[in-house]
Amino acid sequence: MVKLDEKIEEAIKEIFNGDKPWITIVWDDPVNLMTYVTYVLMELFGYSREKAHELMMKVHTEGKAIVSTGSREEMEHDVARLHEYGLWATLQRGDQGL
Amino acid sequence: MTQQDSEENHGFFRHGDNAFVVEFSESEREVLINLVEQIIELLSERSDNHVDDPLAAMVGITTHDSPPEDEVLLRLLPNAYADQVDAAEFRRYTESTLRAKKYAHSLSMRITLKSAIDGIIEVDHDGANDWLGAMNDIRLALGVRLKVEQTSHEELELLAPDDPMRGVYAVYSWLGWLQESLIVALMDDAI
Repeated sequence: MVKLDEKIEEAIKEIFNGDKPWITIVWDDPVNLMTYVTYVLMELFGYSREKAHELMMKVHTEGKAIVSTGSREEMEHDVARLHEYGLWATLQRGDQGL
Repeated sequence: MTQQDSEENHGFFRHGDNAFVVEFSESEREVLINLVEQIIELLSERSDNHVDDPLAAMVGITTHDSPPEDEVLLRLLPNAYADQVDAAEFRRYTESTLRAKKYAHSLSMRITLKSAIDGIIEVDHDGANDWLGAMNDIRLALGVRLKVEQTSHEELELLAPDDPMRGVYAVYSWLGWLQESLIVALMDDAI
């Protein structure tokens, strides 16, 4: 039997995704509370409080942040969940300029 | 921002492992019911640009693929792609699901408000998430009307006493404070 370790899985994933995965971007908006954005990122993506806080601060100070990467389908799923909770999110190919 | 409110209302607090409690005055409860019912109405079937196709509706495909004309609805159901063609395609297949999910959040909030005894609300973690989503949708809607995009905090604080937007801003601020209290209670154990 062939066994997949993490490295091989990662390599296979790259073959299917190409080397230009899709990205989900959260944009800054003046309504959403900073704590709310942090909380939603923790809830939806299972990020630690530190990671979620860091991403939220990036959105706040730079106007946007990439919150997840993966296949187009995965990113569409992520964007839909972010929209459900009112965050302003879009997806695009990772090689497109932000 | 919260000085006055906090004297009579402490917002949400954690009660045990999986319960979040808040006590509202009758007028606060009425305001919240009124707001959430407006969101529920807004999220009901879109009337613009709509052609009935029951078969498509059954599998969650909407026949409209254009963004909502109403500014508030557009903020609640935003485009997922900067590219208009991709955005339209995505909307066609997902907008009705998104609307149904938001609708469910608001409905859940409305039910707990309606069934409150002595103004006391108790929700579990999932119920709290429904409340957060619903309160956030209300704030997004009010935010569009208050033009918070283009108007500074200071300008909104200085609205004339007879400006109806002053009252709207007070509600908007109070909701933000209420939402924050629930997040703080939820994050208590979320480390």
